[in-house]
Amino acid sequence: MRTTSRGLIAALALTPVLTGCFAPGDSDTGAGSGGRLRVALAVPPVQALSPYSNDATVLSKLSVAEGLTALDENGTAKPALAKSWKQDGDTTWTFELRKAEFQDGTELTARAVVDALDHASAAKPKPRVLSDVSLTAKADDADTVTLTTKSPDPVLPLRLASPALAILSAKAYAKDGSASPVGTGTGPFELTRLSGKSKATLDRFDGYWGGKAKAPGIDVSWIADGTARANALRGGETDVAEWIPTAQAKLLDKKTRHEVPSVRTDSLILNTGSGLFTDAGLRAAARQAVDGSALVDSVFGGYADPAQGLFGPAVPWAAGKRTEVTGRAEAATAAEVKTGAKGRTLRLATYTNRAELPEAAAVLQQQLEKAGFTVKQDVREYTQMEGDLLAGKYDALVFSRVTLLDTGDAVDYLASDFTSEGVYNIAGLKDAAVDKAIRAAAAERDTAGRQEKIMRAEAAILRTDAVVPLVHEQAVQGIADDVEGVILDPRERSLIDVDTRLK
Amino acid sequence: MSFARTSVAARPSLWPAAAGRVLAGCALLGAVALLPWLSGADPARTVLRARSADQNPTPAELAAVRDQLGLDQGPLVHLGHWLAGLPRGDAGVSWVSGAPVMPQAGTALSVSLTLMLGAFAVTVLVAALVCARTVFLGSRRRLRQDRAGTTAAVLAALPKFLLASVLATVCGVWWGWFPSSGWEGPQSMVLPSLALGIPSGAMLGGMLDQALPAAFHEPWARTAYAVGLPPGNIARNALRRTLPGILPQLLPTVVALVGGAVAVEKIFNIPGLGRLALEAAVAQDLPVLQTATLALVLLGVSAGILIRALRHALLGRPLRDGALPTLHRPPLVPPRSLRWITAACSVVLIALVTAGLLRDPLQVDTAARLVAPSLEHPLGTDALGRDLLARLGHGALRTAGVALAVTVVSAITGLMLGMAPRASAGPTEVVSTLPAVLSGLLIAGVTGPSVWGAACAVCVVGWSPYAAQTAALLEQERASGHIAASVALGAGRPHLLRRHMLPAVLPALLRNALLRLPTAVLVLASLGFLGLGEQPPTPEWGRLLSENQPYAELAPWTVLGPAAALVVLSVLAVTGSALGRPKGE
Repeated sequence: MRTTSRGLIAALALTPVLTGCFAPGDSDTGAGSGGRLRVALAVPPVQALSPYSNDATVLSKLSVAEGLTALDENGTAKPALAKSWKQDGDTTWTFELRKAEFQDGTELTARAVVDALDHASAAKPKPRVLSDVSLTAKADDADTVTLTTKSPDPVLPLRLASPALAILSAKAYAKDGSASPVGTGTGPFELTRLSGKSKATLDRFDGYWGGKAKAPGIDVSWIADGTARANALRGGETDVAEWIPTAQAKLLDKKTRHEVPSVRTDSLILNTGSGLFTDAGLRAAARQAVDGSALVDSVFGGYADPAQGLFGPAVPWAAGKRTEVTGRAEAATAAEVKTGAKGRTLRLATYTNRAELPEAAAVLQQQLEKAGFTVKQDVREYTQMEGDLLAGKYDALVFSRVTLLDTGDAVDYLASDFTSEGVYNIAGLKDAAVDKAIRAAAAERDTAGRQEKIMRAEAAILRTDAVVPLVHEQAVQGIADDVEGVILDPRERSLIDVDTRLK
Repeated sequence: MSFARTSVAARPSLWPAAAGRVLAGCALLGAVALLPWLSGADPARTVLRARSADQNPTPAELAAVRDQLGLDQGPLVHLGHWLAGLPRGDAGVSWVSGAPVMPQAGTALSVSLTLMLGAFAVTVLVAALVCARTVFLGSRRRLRQDRAGTTAAVLAALPKFLLASVLATVCGVWWGWFPSSGWEGPQSMVLPSLALGIPSGAMLGGMLDQALPAAFHEPWARTAYAVGLPPGNIARNALRRTLPGILPQLLPTVVALVGGAVAVEKIFNIPGLGRLALEAAVAQDLPVLQTATLALVLLGVSAGILIRALRHALLGRPLRDGALPTLHRPPLVPPRSLRWITAACSVVLIALVTAGLLRDPLQVDTAARLVAPSLEHPLGTDALGRDLLARLGHGALRTAGVALAVTVVSAITGLMLGMAPRASAGPTEVVSTLPAVLSGLLIAGVTGPSVWGAACAVCVVGWSPYAAQTAALLEQERASGHIAASVALGAGRPHLLRRHMLPAVLPALLRNALLRLPTAVLVLASLGFLGLGEQPPTPEWGRLLSENQPYAELAPWTVLGPAAALVVLSVLAVTGSALGRPKGE
């Protein structure tokens, strides 16, 4: 037995050595010490919070970095680092900068802005927001920047609000093209430390041009699992937890759960390019069979709105400008569906990344079977199936899509998803009328006119039955009772700002 | 010990085993390095998706990523670069984040190792509790009655992720005893260690409990008792006699938790190696995935060598000199409760299946969502208003059938490989720390989504516990005196195998396999996200558990039903096999 007890002692001696292996640097930040906010975010950083990746939204959510403009509640551009701007010609814009300071102490100058925008344009791969435009920036004087685009870009001010185009100080940009927001932003909170993919520490930046933030700092933890996020809020381990899954929302105290309409629309995409649904009659039958409102109270637990079109209540102008859909194909009857399907099974695909989608697929399967289809599901992780989806190896897809992308402009989404040459055209739609309607919307410069044309394009798309909107999602944010001033943003771009604090 | 050995056969060359280890490790690393080329999924696309979820996969962007990562150079150049950097401690940079791999892999590994040690402590504790009665009675020579092994079967059948959810909710949120998530100090180790350690401890304890009576039945124990040695002494020696047969199970049961505790790591938000490897595998981030795999391979091999050394130290010279008496189970009276438990479990399962088969498992009724058990829905309904009794009943045969088939195939493979212990030591150690998800990804890459893919993937890694067990038991058996006697009497290999080797291995192997049956069900279901296995909405117990897990607190009956069914199945398997056990073998 001597040997075992020796082994045991060795193992026990190892334990304290290894217990040094906990996430570093957490001992000094006790439970919300001194009014610091504790925030649990859902999507762990993939590229050390680089603005050119998924992580960019974190920078705007936590008010670390800002762009030249920002978006207001209606989705129009409002001043941020630029205090005003004007359009000089079709392709030229001038932006007047405000007096501001970077968190590393340097001044915001036109030179710095040009530098930052040049880096964004040169980033590889190019940030999404710049994918369809080429931007040249020029410093006119210390606080004036002229931006020129190759082709006319009516939504440039909206584009500049994208977190991917945040202006960081010269120190942020490394030789290899990467950009680090640690201590280089202009926002009210300075990112002081990022520990891997699990923690970040933010301190108040006293030199912020918009006044001092009310909270002295933010302790961020990333908790990917929705249940764990809800648990952290309920256990008092965090003050703000974003995106509480609908299954957990009911467990939260009423006062701590806040729902906000999201720009995410869940829809059933029908593959018009190949297979069963090349037949418009069958598509119409599927559209008629599917009832998205049945999902609202069941799968989404009430945290969704029945679909009105592609754009939901989170896009405030959409409802007033909606055009009626006319000239749709006649739906096939159950008997016609059976003969039309010619014994083929409907491959109903969806992915597991969003917990609600597989459940929605089970409901839709039953609805489609009632209409005469024979349905087989294909449920996988999204990256496992993206290739198959784009190759058209499915008939119908339950799909959750953000309808206002980085630009905050809806045309972008319509163009990539529904035009013949769209790169994300999963529906395989090739329809001249749709292409024309989307092109018309893209060319329109007047805001109201553009919105009207967008809604006309929506009607044109819905007419083809390539997509059947199901629900507009609502996001549930968990906010502890003693926190005030958390921003409920449908675009998921803002969360904490200067006024957020513990009561 | 340095003095001359008497038996040459007992001092085998170390080369075959070392070669086996190197070969197995290289084969695995090679397969991982080829993953994108095997699966046909473009790494540029998966990496782009991991970096930016909303990015449009335009040809230009994909080309930019491909160019940046140098994907056109092919897999071998990449593997070469990565290998060349290793001696300098440089494992390259992550394809997704661009950050050096070594620091993040090192941190994740140390977190996972710490968690594994915590789980190991709990495992030892639970295993001790499970065998406490046998040890107590045996060391006092009062062991008359056999045990049914129900407790061990029940605990071993508890799904770890469900245990984790319950612990996080009850001890973390309701009572606030421990943090419900995070990794910020020894207190955040407690709940995950319990969730991981309880089922493992029950499994090992169950096996040890079955082996112990034979040790207490040996002549030395009788002598020691007659001489009046204290019970503690007898117990210690009995453990020393039986532990070597169980120790190899630590590798696939406890050490494997370093890479295989993904579900629990997610629930408690622990930045461990399992999550790192899974994320890297899904994004096809090869440098990270290769480094994580290498860490697991090295861990498995070194733990294997350590365990082997420990076994040899425990058994000592008798093993080397071929003077180890065989363990014989004494004739014990089966407890009266055994029949009752077996009968009750059979009745419950048969009732469940018949009642369930009469109902519709696919009928979605959104109005009857999460209805508590009632006359209309005896086990309640799930989040879509589907009747849980129906889903359990319809899923029973498929679940039990596939899990049983997978277990049988794994056990037979393990038995065969375990018979060539020197050659199989390497592969066993390498495979036992390999998460099933990784083999699932490789299989999914080759076959695409398929019904049989999940079963194949589990079989590919599932044989290692049985191979380790067979190898250990055979080594002990070969060292026993009666084998030498048989050989001297002219027994050939087939005779030795049939009359001596197999009878010594099979009962323990069977117990092991039955205790692992519920794990097989859960692992099979955990591969669903790769498109492996039956697609939803087909009911399957593992899927029932995972799809209802989010509702565990809101509607506990949605997980209690499937968990209880799994427990009943496991208890039935274990007690049933105990009933059929020949007395005194």
